[in-house]
Amino acid sequence: MSDFPLIRLADVTKVYHLESGDVIALNHVSVDILENEFVAIMGPSGSGKSTMMNQLGILDVPTSGNLFISGKNVAAMTNLERTHMRRDTIGYIFQNFYLIPLLTAYENVEYPLILKYKQRDNSGKAAAILKSVGFDQALSAHRPSQLSGGQQQRVAIARALVNDPRILLCDEPTGNLDRKTGFTIMDTLAGLHSEGKTVILVTHDPKVAEYAHRTIQLEDGRVVAS
Amino acid sequence: MKDIFFDLSVRSVRLNFLRSLLASIGIVIGVVAIASMGMLGTNMQLIVKNQLTAGINTIVITPDVVRSEPGSFGTQGTTATGITESQLKDIRDAAGTNEVIPIDRTSTQFSIGSSDGRGSIMGFDQNDMKNIMNVSEGSTPRGESDAIVGAMIASRFDLKIGTRIKIGEPNISVTRPVVRVVGILPTIGMSSSNGINTDNAIIVSDTWYSAQFGGANVYDQVNVNLKDVSTLSAVETAIDNKVNRNKEVIRISDASSRVTSVSSTLSSLTTFILAIGSISLLVAATSIFNVMMMSVSERVQEIGILLSIGTETGEVRRMFLYEAFILGIIGAIIGGIMSIVIGYSVVSAMIGNTAYFFLPESIIYVPAGMLIGIVVCVASGVYPAWKASNMDPIEALRAE
Repeated sequence: MSDFPLIRLADVTKVYHLESGDVIALNHVSVDILENEFVAIMGPSGSGKSTMMNQLGILDVPTSGNLFISGKNVAAMTNLERTHMRRDTIGYIFQNFYLIPLLTAYENVEYPLILKYKQRDNSGKAAAILKSVGFDQALSAHRPSQLSGGQQQRVAIARALVNDPRILLCDEPTGNLDRKTGFTIMDTLAGLHSEGKTVILVTHDPKVAEYAHRTIQLEDGRVVAS
Repeated sequence: MKDIFFDLSVRSVRLNFLRSLLASIGIVIGVVAIASMGMLGTNMQLIVKNQLTAGINTIVITPDVVRSEPGSFGTQGTTATGITESQLKDIRDAAGTNEVIPIDRTSTQFSIGSSDGRGSIMGFDQNDMKNIMNVSEGSTPRGESDAIVGAMIASRFDLKIGTRIKIGEPNISVTRPVVRVVGILPTIGMSSSNGINTDNAIIVSDTWYSAQFGGANVYDQVNVNLKDVSTLSAVETAIDNKVNRNKEVIRISDASSRVTSVSSTLSSLTTFILAIGSISLLVAATSIFNVMMMSVSERVQEIGILLSIGTETGEVRRMFLYEAFILGIIGAIIGGIMSIVIGYSVVSAMIGNTAYFFLPESIIYVPAGMLIGIVVCVASGVYPAWKASNMDPIEALRAE
């Protein structure tokens, strides 16, 4: 596995067909990301960061070129296979946390386990992960709307981690947090990286990007520095 | 195992409780309409059928006037207009232990005081009268010129026990025979399936009848009252074989064909009123559809989250179908309870008889209506659920 990267974008182009004309969001991008790397993706607005994250999170497929994750060609997969890979291999952390409002903090974390094992979690894994991000039982019973931004992001991290994914995709994870809480979250991500996770981070903030070991700079859908 | 998608649906319904309840009211109305209309129709059918089958155990035998023409001479000459004593004996033999009632009947004019009328006059054996006539007032005839009268004549002419009736045409200048009313019969109405409708009749003894109208030992009709209705066709065949062995001289009929035709008419009527009830379910389906579409559009971002963290499209679909199912269940349960109450009131008010209400064939409309309500509800949720599960997760996540 060490000679083949965990993620390989090979000449990936993504074109959005809009009424105003075609927009090339990614233009012949080729990037390799290795296992246990900590990579920051940076670039101005409209440079293609989000499109790249959507590709890495298998929420979208390339217009041309190939994306390989764990050696598998994403474009050749069925919808269901992509869904399962998203569930099992990738942990997604969003700027807006995106917790399920109807579920408690605990249930939000338990949810991916239910998706995977088709049953409620009896292993205590969800509770253990929540504990590791500083949530006790009482706090875990709260709905997202009853939690602060930092707390919600910690629940989101716990949810992303609960199925033990190899890749953590973090889309502006500190964007909606105050500076202090933002750095606490970044410390958590750095800790997860040191435990062996591959962390890919999209950010505007150079201070946040400093946590990463490598920065991929995008401009107009092209990689200008890697 | 408790399904988390079911759980999510329950919570969504709870969160939007008022909206969900209002949507369910559509289903409630639909279930109530279907169930109570169905029960109304069925109760009507059961009551009418029961009234008709009250006389189904009677075989009515009449002379075959088409084949044995009056006035024709020959071996059957005297039987031309009636059933003879020997034929009656054959009928009695074939009927076995069943009751055989010979009847004389004709149409006549009569006068009561200064008013004139027209009706049937029937002659019965006095013992038969005792057995089959249940007077509501007075008694059955004992004397030669005693008569009992039908409810319609009694009420039209305001007859009392003891009133005298002159029989025959009023303009003939001869002394008309007189009978005295000793009993009044109850209203028979539709339930007279035994071939004797006594509502507009004056009933006298056969001896008085033959003295006035002639035809002693010849009868216009013979009724056979069966002890066991299942022997109907066997007895009919036996009589036919015995009496009609050489020539068709009598006609044998019963009420079963009438029961079948009336039942089928009523069954069409039930279907028709059920169809009217179904229209309300159509309205309910539209309202459920609307609520489900609202639920989907309000939860676009949530659907995006679910899809982006690895929820299968089938699971998202299931979640929304569960929601429709829950709305259906709520509507069906409330509707089921209400349809028993409303159905009972409707049947009681419109038919005036609730004796059949709790019979399986009537009460079955409650679970049937509930089931149809749930099915309609889930069916209305299919498109919204499909729409939710086929969203583009990226677009859905961006929605506010």
